[in-house]
Amino acid sequence: MNLDATIPPLAERGWGGAFSLAVRAVVVLLLVLVIAQSAYVVHARPQDLVTGVYGMADIVRRAMPPDFAAIDKVWWPALETVDIAIFGTLGGVILALPLAILAAANVSPSRPLYYGARGMIGFARAVPDLVWALLFVTAVGLGPFPGALALSVHSIGMLGRLFAETIEHMDMAPIDALTLTGARRMQVFTHGIVPSVLPSLTGIALYRLDENIRSSLVLGFVGAGGIGFELLSAMSLFQYRLVSLYLIVTFVIVIAAERMSALVRARLA
Amino acid sequence: MLRVEHLTMRYPSGKVALARFDLSVAAGELVVVLGGNGSGKTTLLRCITRMLQPTTGEIWLDGVDLAALSGERLRRARLPLAMIWQQASLVRRRTVLSNVACGALGRHGGLWTALGGLPAPERRAALYHLGEVGLADLAGQRAGTLSGGQAQRVAIARALAQQPQVLLADEPVASLDPEAADDIMRLLKQLAAEDNLAVLCVLHQVELAYAFADRVVGIRDGRMAFDLPTSDVPREAVRQLYLSEAA
Repeated sequence: MNLDATIPPLAERGWGGAFSLAVRAVVVLLLVLVIAQSAYVVHARPQDLVTGVYGMADIVRRAMPPDFAAIDKVWWPALETVDIAIFGTLGGVILALPLAILAAANVSPSRPLYYGARGMIGFARAVPDLVWALLFVTAVGLGPFPGALALSVHSIGMLGRLFAETIEHMDMAPIDALTLTGARRMQVFTHGIVPSVLPSLTGIALYRLDENIRSSLVLGFVGAGGIGFELLSAMSLFQYRLVSLYLIVTFVIVIAAERMSALVRARLA
Repeated sequence: MLRVEHLTMRYPSGKVALARFDLSVAAGELVVVLGGNGSGKTTLLRCITRMLQPTTGEIWLDGVDLAALSGERLRRARLPLAMIWQQASLVRRRTVLSNVACGALGRHGGLWTALGGLPAPERRAALYHLGEVGLADLAGQRAGTLSGGQAQRVAIARALAQQPQVLLADEPVASLDPEAADDIMRLLKQLAAEDNLAVLCVLHQVELAYAFADRVVGIRDGRMAFDLPTSDVPREAVRQLYLSEAA
């Protein structure tokens, strides 16, 4: 088929064709305006990148070689960082699961509960984990516990939404079949819904653990324990060789968590 | 065993899917329902199981009108009624044995089953039912690894674990090859005869109906077209069921 023959020349397309071209031009113009205002608002100055290179090079020079002699100072904050993420993820899973069941349209027992659960999940997600950490540091003081609490609450939002979507997208035929055998609501849940979605939910939770390990590093900056807290202290004291050691350990933790999480998720798939 | 009287189903859109439909299935009998797409076959089964609430009519099972019940009373009254579906509808990540044993959950209300456990006697019974459908050797296999024909046999074993008096089947061979379809229909016929089950089966395959049914019910536009012993069903009457679909 000759495609050229099916597409009329611009002059023959009439007002419809001209209108479509005008819309495209407006969209492109808007896009350019958005990018330009964004660059203006953030004071984007490419020349600063060039002059900043000298400062960065100086910090890198002072951070080398990493202070491996201080490795015994790193273990505990590193363990704290991982444990903040583990506690935060477990807490998030435990609290997100019942909320997700209420927030999944296909299994939620009632509309008010559905909207209530959706609202709670949305709120927990909308507030960033750093803000939760600041709130919990204020409430329970400095240390790893407020960090773990912050990750738990924020994870409710992230996990709750993904869990609910997973439940909503599962194949309902086995659930209907189980219901018709006369199984009670709780039995249908434990014998039908849980085995159907458990691998997906576990995969999501592991992915969240991986994310939480990254987050727990940053939470230390606001006093919520872990390597982040030590990193900030070392930077404040200009101990750049110690900073580089913390960064290396951070890198190892993040990569190891990512690889382990990916490995387990691949086995579950 | 199962008796449907004056069953009418009118959807909110105004479409009448079933109009004063009468039907009965006796113990030991295999009744096949034939009809074109949208004729009301599946609606009939969904009303009998009360997945749909019929507009009017009665559904008598073991002396109880299912149409008049709801909630826990409906759940209990429906226990003698088992259903198999076009797709086997098994929990794919559980073993074949667990899927079958789940058919008995309705008889167990304890904490153990609520927490995901299965009573040991029901596991033994499930193995027996798997033997009945010829799949005892696959008991430990994951349900998701089965072929279509095997999965449908497991679904039948799950229905048997329910200890039903009536077995409903909604196009149980629709997605199977001819050989597997024959096997499933032979099994349903055998269950009706040997276990004294009342079997009501919706089919699209006319030849399977002629080969295995004791009685054939024709349905067209939600109304009974005929209800005859299989040997008395004229080919022309069956052809008429599908005429509007062809047009």
